[in-house]
Amino acid sequence: MPETPADFRYPLRWRLMDGIEALADRIWPRRLAPWTGWLLITPALLLVGLLVLGLIQIADSSLRTLDTATFLPSEDWSLANFEKALASRVYLTVAWRSLLGAALTTFLTLALAFPYAYALVRTRRPWVRKALLITLFLPFFIGQVVRAYGWLIILGNSGMVNEALSLVGVAPMRLLFNYPAVIFGMVQYMLPFAVLLMVPALAAIPAETETAAGSLGANWLRTTWHVVLPMAKPGLIGAGLVVATLSLTDFAVPAMLGGGSQDFIANAIYDQFFRTADQGLGSALALMLVAAGSVLVGLVFLVFGAGTLSMGGRR
Amino acid sequence: MAAVRSEQPAVVVQGVDMDFGTGAMAVKGASFALEPGRFLTILGPSGSGKTTLLRMIAGFQAPTRGEILIGGRPADAVAPHRRSIGMVFQKLALFPHMTVNANVAFPLKMRRHDPRTIPARVARYLDLVRLGGYGNRRIHELSGGQQQRVAIARALVFEPDLLLLDEPLAALDRKLREEMQLEFRRIQKELGVTTINVTHDQREALVVSDEIIVMDHGEIQQHTSPVDMYRSPANPFVASFIGVSSFLEGLSSPRGLMVNGVDCAGVAAGAILPGMPARGAIRAEQTRIGAAAEACDTVLEGRITDTIFEGERLMYFVDLPALGTGVRIYHHDPAEHAPFEKGATVSTGWNARDLLIFPAKDR
Ligand SMILES: Nc1ncnc2c1ncn2[C@@H]1O[C@H](COP(=O)(O)OP(=O)(O)OP(=O)(O)O)[C@@H](O)[C@H]1O
Ligand SMILES: [Mg+2]
Repeated sequence: MPETPADFRYPLRWRLMDGIEALADRIWPRRLAPWTGWLLITPALLLVGLLVLGLIQIADSSLRTLDTATFLPSEDWSLANFEKALASRVYLTVAWRSLLGAALTTFLTLALAFPYAYALVRTRRPWVRKALLITLFLPFFIGQVVRAYGWLIILGNSGMVNEALSLVGVAPMRLLFNYPAVIFGMVQYMLPFAVLLMVPALAAIPAETETAAGSLGANWLRTTWHVVLPMAKPGLIGAGLVVATLSLTDFAVPAMLGGGSQDFIANAIYDQFFRTADQGLGSALALMLVAAGSVLVGLVFLVFGAGTLSMGGRR
Repeated sequence: MAAVRSEQPAVVVQGVDMDFGTGAMAVKGASFALEPGRFLTILGPSGSGKTTLLRMIAGFQAPTRGEILIGGRPADAVAPHRRSIGMVFQKLALFPHMTVNANVAFPLKMRRHDPRTIPARVARYLDLVRLGGYGNRRIHELSGGQQQRVAIARALVFEPDLLLLDEPLAALDRKLREEMQLEFRRIQKELGVTTINVTHDQREALVVSDEIIVMDHGEIQQHTSPVDMYRSPANPFVASFIGVSSFLEGLSSPRGLMVNGVDCAGVAAGAILPGMPARGAIRAEQTRIGAAAEACDTVLEGRITDTIFEGERLMYFVDLPALGTGVRIYHHDPAEHAPFEKGATVSTGWNARDLLIFPAKDR
C-alpha cells in the first residue's frame, strides 16, 4: 500500500461510491450475479407485459359489437366490428391517408434530416454546430400543441403568410386544414427525432473515408451515394422506422392542422372511444393499426435485417 | 503509369508554410523537387509535419504560404476527384460496407473504365499485393496487414501519376513490414509511378527509397540519397535519426575536436573554424573496441558500463573517463560474439573520417 499521511481521506465521491457498492453487495450478493441482467430488465419486461395485457383486453372488446338499444357491448364474440371497418369507405380513406401520410412524412423527413445531420457532424466551426442544435431543439422545447397553434397564427386565413401575400397582390389562400398542411406539420415535428437518430451513425464515418473516396475519383454526389449513405444505413433505417411509426399513429397534428377534415387512424379511433363510445369498433381499428405498424417494422427487419440498426450481428 | 515522361519534375514544392494557428508552424519553408518515377521517403519523428506536407501535396489542404506544382500545374487547380493521385491514408480509410473486390474496383468505376475490363484488372492488382483469392471477403474479415494491402491495391489500381503513402506499413509486425517494404520497391519499379512515402522508420527509408527527406519541427533538414544520408548527414539531428550515433561536445581543433582537453581526430562536416564550440557525431558501428581499436587514429581507455543483446550483434555502453562522457558501440563478430564483460576496461577508438564535426549551434 502506498504511504499516506494520517489525515488522508479519499474524495467524497469515491467514499459514496464505495458505500453504495457495499450496500448493493448486501442486498444482492455476488452469487446472484448470473441473474443481475434479468433483474435489470425486469421493470421493462413488466411494462411490456402490462401493454400486452391491455392489448388482450382490446382484442376482447374488438370482438363484441355495441348493442345500440342498451348501449352495452354484446355478450358473444363476432367479427362484425372488423367487417364493418373493412367494408367502410370512410375507414378505407382514413387508412390510405394515414399510410400515405406516414410514407410521405418519412421520405421528406429523412431527405431533410440527412443534410442537416451531416452539416451538424462535419462542420469545423463550433458556433455553427451550436446554432444548428439550438435551431433544431427550439421547436422541440415548445411542445406540440403550442407549435400547432403557432402554425394557425402563421398560416391562418388572416395569418402572417396570407398578409404578406396580399401585400404583393395575391389573394388569400387556404393554407390550413388540408393534407399538405398536415404533412408539413408532421415533417416539422419529426425532424429533430430523425436528425438525432442519424447523428451517431454519421459521426461514426471517418471524414478521411470521404476524402479517400474523393481521391479515388468520386465527386461529392457519388461519395454521398456510394460511401456516406451506405455507411449511414443503420441511422437512416432507425430514423425511418421511428418517423414512420410515430407519424402512422400520430393524433395531434392531423387533429390540429387538419381541422377534422384530415383524420388519420388515431383520430378515427379517438372518435370511436370518446365520441361515439363504440369501444368495439375503436378496438378493432386499434388492433388493425397495431397490425399495420408491426407488419411495417417486420418488413424492414426482414429486408434489412435487425443487424442494420447496428445491434451486433451482420444480418 | 507515368507514361508521359515530361521534362519537368513530377512534384515541385516551393517555400511552403503551413500554420494551423495553434503555436509552432506544422511545416516551415519546405522546398524540394521530385523527378518522375522516383521513390521519395519523407522521414521524421512524430509531429514533424510529414502528414501535413503529404496532405498539401495531395491537395487536401492549402498551404499558408508557398506553392505546390504537380506535373507543372498548381495542386489545387484540379478538383480532387479529377487528380491522378493514389493515396494510402495513415488510417487506411477503406470502405467497410464493400467487399475487397468492390473496394479495389471503386476507383475504376468512378473513373468510368470499361466495365468489362474492371474484374480482370482488380484481380491483377490483388495478385500484385499477394491477395489473390481474397476478393469476396469483407474488409472486417481481413487481418490488419491484409487490409493495408487492400488499401495499397486500391491506390495503385487506377495507375495514378503520383502515389502518396502515409505510413502504410506502420501497423505491421517487423517481418511483414520488411516483406512489404521490398514489395513496395518491386511494385514501384514495375509500374514506374512517382511515389512519396512517409514514415518514421529509418530502416524503411533506407531500404525502399531513391531519395530521402528528413524533417524535424516542420523543417526539411536534408534531402539526398539513402547512401549520402547515411554517410554524410547534414547536421547532428540527421546523424542521430539515421542509425545510432554518440555525440561529443567540445571545441573545434585543427586535428578535429578538443574534448575535455583531449584532442580527438575528426573531420569537419560544415563551415567551422578552429576554436569554435562544436559537436562531434560518431556512429556506433564505426566506433571500435578491443584489439580492433588499437590501430585507430584516436585510441582511448574505456570502461564497459552496460551491454545490450540485439541478436546478431551487441551494443556496448562505454564510459570514456578522459572525455568525461560515454559512447555506444556496436560489436558484430560471429567468431567472437561477446568478448567483453560488463565492467571490463577496454581500448576504444575511431578513425578520423568517422567523427563528423558540426558547429554546435546546429541541432
Ligand atoms: N488539423 C490540425 N490542426 C492543428 N494542428 C495540427 C493539425 N494537423 C496537424 N497539426 C500539428 O502539426 C504538426 C505536424 O503534424 P503532422 O500530422 O504533420 O505530423 P506527422 O509528422 O505526420 O506525425 P506522425 O508521425 O505522428 O503521424 C503537429 O504538431 C500537429 O499537432
Ligand atoms: Mg502522420
